[in-house]
Amino acid sequence: MDRFLRLIGFLVIIFIAAPLVIVVPISFSNARSLQFPPPGYWLGYYQAYFSDTDWLRPTFNSILIATATTVLTMVLVVPATFALVRHRFYGKSVADLMMLMPLAVPHIVMAVGYYSFLGNLRLVHTHMGVVLAHACLSVPIAFLVLSANLKGFDRNLERAAQSLGASPVQTFIHVTLPILRPGLFISALFAFIQSFDETVVAIFISGRDAETLPRKMFDSIRQEADPVIAVISTLLFAAVLLALLTPLAWSSIRKRLRKRPPAAAFSGG
Amino acid sequence: MGATIAKLAERPNLWPWLLLTPLAIYLAIFFLVPLVNVAIMSVTEPRLTLANYERVLVGALYQRVFLNTFLTAGLVTLACLLVAYPLAYLMNHSSQRTAMMILLLVTMSFWTSFLVRTYAWMVLLGNNGPIIAFIKAIGIEIPPQLLFTRFSSTLAMVHILAPYMIMNIYSVMRKIDPVLIRSAESLGARGFALFRHVYLPLTAPGIANGCVLVFVICLGFYVTPVLLGSPREQMIAGLIGTQIEEFLAFGMGSAMAMVLLAVTLAILAIYHRRFGLDKLWG
Amino acid sequence: MTVRRNRAPFLLAPSRRSFLKASGAAVTTTLAMPYIAQAQENVLYINTWGGPWEEAAKQYIFDPFTTETGIEIRTVSPVSFAKLAQQVRTGTYEFDVTTLGAGELIRAEQAGLIEELEAPFDGGLFHNGIASHAFATVIAWRTDKFSDGGPQNWAEFWDVERFPGPRSLQRYPARVLPLALLADGVAPEDLYPLDIDRAFASLDRIKDHVLVWWTAGAQSTQILRDGEVDLIGIWHGRYFEAEDAGAPVAMTWNQGEIERAYWVVAKGTPNAENARKFVEFATSPEPLAGFVTQADYGPLNLAANEFISTEDAARMPTSPDNYPLTFEQEIDNFGADIEEVAQRFEEWLAS
Repeated sequence: MDRFLRLIGFLVIIFIAAPLVIVVPISFSNARSLQFPPPGYWLGYYQAYFSDTDWLRPTFNSILIATATTVLTMVLVVPATFALVRHRFYGKSVADLMMLMPLAVPHIVMAVGYYSFLGNLRLVHTHMGVVLAHACLSVPIAFLVLSANLKGFDRNLERAAQSLGASPVQTFIHVTLPILRPGLFISALFAFIQSFDETVVAIFISGRDAETLPRKMFDSIRQEADPVIAVISTLLFAAVLLALLTPLAWSSIRKRLRKRPPAAAFSGG
Repeated sequence: MGATIAKLAERPNLWPWLLLTPLAIYLAIFFLVPLVNVAIMSVTEPRLTLANYERVLVGALYQRVFLNTFLTAGLVTLACLLVAYPLAYLMNHSSQRTAMMILLLVTMSFWTSFLVRTYAWMVLLGNNGPIIAFIKAIGIEIPPQLLFTRFSSTLAMVHILAPYMIMNIYSVMRKIDPVLIRSAESLGARGFALFRHVYLPLTAPGIANGCVLVFVICLGFYVTPVLLGSPREQMIAGLIGTQIEEFLAFGMGSAMAMVLLAVTLAILAIYHRRFGLDKLWG
Repeated sequence: MTVRRNRAPFLLAPSRRSFLKASGAAVTTTLAMPYIAQAQENVLYINTWGGPWEEAAKQYIFDPFTTETGIEIRTVSPVSFAKLAQQVRTGTYEFDVTTLGAGELIRAEQAGLIEELEAPFDGGLFHNGIASHAFATVIAWRTDKFSDGGPQNWAEFWDVERFPGPRSLQRYPARVLPLALLADGVAPEDLYPLDIDRAFASLDRIKDHVLVWWTAGAQSTQILRDGEVDLIGIWHGRYFEAEDAGAPVAMTWNQGEIERAYWVVAKGTPNAENARKFVEFATSPEPLAGFVTQADYGPLNLAANEFISTEDAARMPTSPDNYPLTFEQEIDNFGADIEEVAQRFEEWLAS
């Protein structure tokens, strides 16, 4: 039984890993087509990506749009989360539910809605239009992360600060904010990634001037399977890998340097 | 300034509303209005009529596409479950280091853009790809067609959605007290009995969560079926896209979108009554 | 701690804090990156087919036009009739100029999607489009699959016993229905007006074998070149692209379906004046001759023939050798409402 499960688990691991790994050699391939194994290796498609404005512009648009989306999302979500987590009021359960609704609606439905709604506002094909749409989709994600953090927040720390004479504003800036910083960062990061990866709404509304990277990739995969996609895939994959491994490496280095027992290192988290 | 905030803080009724208002206004304008717009278009385009719904609900083509969408979503959910459960079990029964490595892999897959993963399946399943090469190498001369079929789009969707299921099941499984398992074993529970009477009931919440999540996401999937599937086995989102982009048939597209939305919300509403919606994505 | 870990399971919980610190720097850099707005004066946006089409157009039409007028040209692809219609609906323009086939041209004119134009040369105006070049949809196949030669007409293309293997056709009924009728035994001279029901019945016979209904020119080249399909109905220019890339492929001009492409200007675009200038330039003899020679099209402004050698003409569908083998679309005599046929085709496709 156990051996059988192990075998299945092993196959599942290959199933999950194979597509992640395959794009790397393909990105160095010198073939025009999707050939595996590649007939030869070169860096030509990397060069093509970094010198082609048709690829760089969407990349840049995506970074810009995701950044603006993150800022807008956080400005809206942070106060709302405080209201929903720390206060009891009439209609709270409805408000809670409303926060999650954008996550419940299929993106294709929103895409149809935005396509005509933003069209009426003359905001189709603009950065502003994409940001306004993406922020809606990022709200529930940022809210979920932040509210989980805020619920775990020990309010005695704030009470202690206030009993020592700090004003509510001082307490907020010097006590609440620093403790919540990781939660805020994670929630902003989720909002950023949500926007950066969002494809369906962007396909319908981002157009010529605000074309995002996922839209460009979608078009390219659909039309010609340009090998540059493998390059971008590899770069995106490398970014994820780096983002996940850096903290692991960092904490193990720190552990070794300080020689503290691991339990103590995380007791504050 | 500080004094005003302090004063507001003392009046518990006004403060939360003040904090919520900007977001509420924002969501009302940029989330609700576009949705209402879809609802309106579905009965006013090209003129005031319910004909769009009639066509969507009665027309043989649309019935078939909806049926196909449900079947695919069900199949993908089942496949995800079959992939996720053994893996979660394995993670739970390996050393912490191995479990961590697997978790890292799953997390990595989750964070990798699904366009990237869709593209990767195109490479893997293409006629010049490694899988066809392998099939040829073991002596099958006419390899089966993999790419641009129901198989390829379903497989890619399973890959894309499996991390949701794995995370959900693993998070409940690792909370199972090992003592419980050991005592069940000491009472003679082995193999399937152990699974049936101990694992299954204890992991049921994670399974329910994962299944609802995967099923609902799959219902509205656009990109992967469009890129990897065959136009004969379209899913509803792809058909909505064609109606809007190719025919500018906003009425039909909107009516289909409303039906899709209604089905999705109905499933989530049932889940909400049973478990609470905030648990689903947690 | 445990509660929070379960609530955000997708990040590796124990390392969350240090992870944040590491990524913080990257995000700050991004935020600080200045956004450079692009000036949009004196720019013309042209909707192109990409690939070899665009390369040829850039070299012989776009660049000389920019040199002559100082108007910068940017391109948007692929060509999409729906996008043209969408632009008028939303008032946001992705492109100012595009090329359309005759079927789409008539649809566009009826729907009021294009500006009125004047004939720059004799016989150059058709439903407010300026005739540019002719292209053909031809039969092509993989020589590594069919070493004894491929199908020589559409009836043979439909013959899945003699030529087994996955096929591809364009997802475009106005172009595919006539082929289906030829495959069913209708003579080219009796095609129009089309017998739509018979055409769909004929398509039914091959449906199971059409693996890909291609939607963009580049896609058709890619699936033929990479061997995703063994047989394809493909534009001749796209075929030559695959052949030039060294793929084992062959084609026949026999029963090639000739169509004419027309330049049109999107209705209401702010760049209409520049667009008119461009359309006139693009169909004037010398630039057109260069473009069609490079991309293997047949020029519709006959004055361009002066600049074309007989060798080059051999790869054009309108050459004296090739033209007799082919047939032309008669879109004015189509036999049904094209829009309705398009809807019916999509429904047929999904069933």
